Amino acid sequence: MSSEALLELAGVVKRFHGLAVVQDLAFNLKPGEILGLVGPNGSGKTTAINLISGVYPIDAGEIHLGGRRIDQLAAFRRVHLGINRSFQVPKPFRGMTVAENILVAAEYGGGQPDQEQILEEVGLTAERHRVASSLTVNHQKMLDLARALATEPKILLVDEIGAGLNPAELNVVADLLLRLANRNIALIVVEHLLKFLNRITDRVLVLSAGRRLFEGTLAEASADPEVVAAFLGG
Amino acid sequence: MALLEYAIIGGILYGIFFSLVGVGLNLIFGVLRMINLAHGQFIVLGGFGAWIVYQYLKLNPAFGIVLSIIGAIIIGYPLYWAVVPRLQKSADPEMLSFILFFGLAQMIDAAMILGFGVSQRSVPTETLGAGNIGLLGQTFPDSWWVAAAVAVLAILGLYLFLTRTRLGFATRAVTANRAEALASGIEVDRISLLSFVIGLALAGVAGVFIPFLLGSVSPSLGDGLTTTSFAIIIIGSLGRPIGTVVGGLVFGLGTMLMETYLPSWSDLVPYALLVIIVLVRPSGLLGRAVRQT
Repeated sequence: MSSEALLELAGVVKRFHGLAVVQDLAFNLKPGEILGLVGPNGSGKTTAINLISGVYPIDAGEIHLGGRRIDQLAAFRRVHLGINRSFQVPKPFRGMTVAENILVAAEYGGGQPDQEQILEEVGLTAERHRVASSLTVNHQKMLDLARALATEPKILLVDEIGAGLNPAELNVVADLLLRLANRNIALIVVEHLLKFLNRITDRVLVLSAGRRLFEGTLAEASADPEVVAAFLGG
Repeated sequence: MALLEYAIIGGILYGIFFSLVGVGLNLIFGVLRMINLAHGQFIVLGGFGAWIVYQYLKLNPAFGIVLSIIGAIIIGYPLYWAVVPRLQKSADPEMLSFILFFGLAQMIDAAMILGFGVSQRSVPTETLGAGNIGLLGQTFPDSWWVAAAVAVLAILGLYLFLTRTRLGFATRAVTANRAEALASGIEVDRISLLSFVIGLALAGVAGVFIPFLLGSVSPSLGDGLTTTSFAIIIIGSLGRPIGTVVGGLVFGLGTMLMETYLPSWSDLVPYALLVIIVLVRPSGLLGRAVRQT
């Protein structure tokens, strides 16, 4: 693992109608690292992912990827530079097959991925000719990950992928994310399932009301009175 | 029985043509999530294109197709960049687009009245063929068959574009979900622009045949054609361009059957079909919900 930061956020601020939903957010991410992003509902986790991926413009601060400032770039350009994401509620291209969904991302994502390998990696080889709208929720989430992987990301932002999955499916996803990290892909994983998160990451960033509340291990976070209060609404 | 055969064959020809009338509106709605209320006016502009080509350039009005495509590029590019990106950033782009394109429709109407007057302009039907072509004992003017053939070619071309080309895949991806399309590295604005221009071009090409199918073209036709197109794409499937063919055929058959048996009620067909479909099957006959955030 390189010691040099791949992604750097400094003083990032986002406001909606004057209300700050992300305030002075700053952290670094190294290649191959998995960072857990946790916090109560409305703490700004998904907004942070949207800011990094370019869905929303930032109101202040800077975002750098490999030393290059990227916060002014359009979302699709950030994809080409190596930032991709999965969605909390995946909505694949419904009328297309699984293989076509991946093909689109492979064609437009700026990389030259091995699409067969991606299908195999996410466990969708047998579903390759199925129309995406007919997939189960679990398979739609896997397809969403496959779509992101088809752009050959350096950083993958994973938004609540565990929601609605059973323990066996969670294990499969955890193994997959660990494999990706081993290939030097950096991951930011937004998740409410702390047991799942504990399995895949050593470092978590706890957000509360858009601010960084804590950074450290999950065990340390669980023992921090401020973090406990934020989660319990105290 | 002969009357029924006439109504059915005529309805299919009419319906195929009206699939072309509606398909551009559906493409634009599917990709941009915006309702081009000036769609009918762009069809009428295509009709005037055919008339100009015949009247002033002394060419076959079918060359109006080329004029329509060039016109769609010349008008579509600046129009898109002037209004669409701003609308997309607004809180309610669909509603704002409704208002904006309604205003644009009125402006085009006014410009056409200034340019061409309020009179109906016609093009001799013989310019697309002086004879009739028969099928199952029923004959229809050559111009109807030409219009249907051009419609089939245009819709087939659109289908092949959407299903066989790289840009077509991207267009379908943007139609399905803009956020996922962006996350796939697709330059959504570029695809939207292309779809907007193609949508206008399809409207213009359909317009070339309006003087033949409706007898004449005049500035007052625009709003009615927009309503009819809207009914057709809702009957088929809103946001699914190829579904427009189903809507067009239902509309064509319904219109011709009414014109055959209850001619004074035929103008009600698009509105009646619209109301029935919205009440009974709001996602259209092909029945796929297209709304995704």
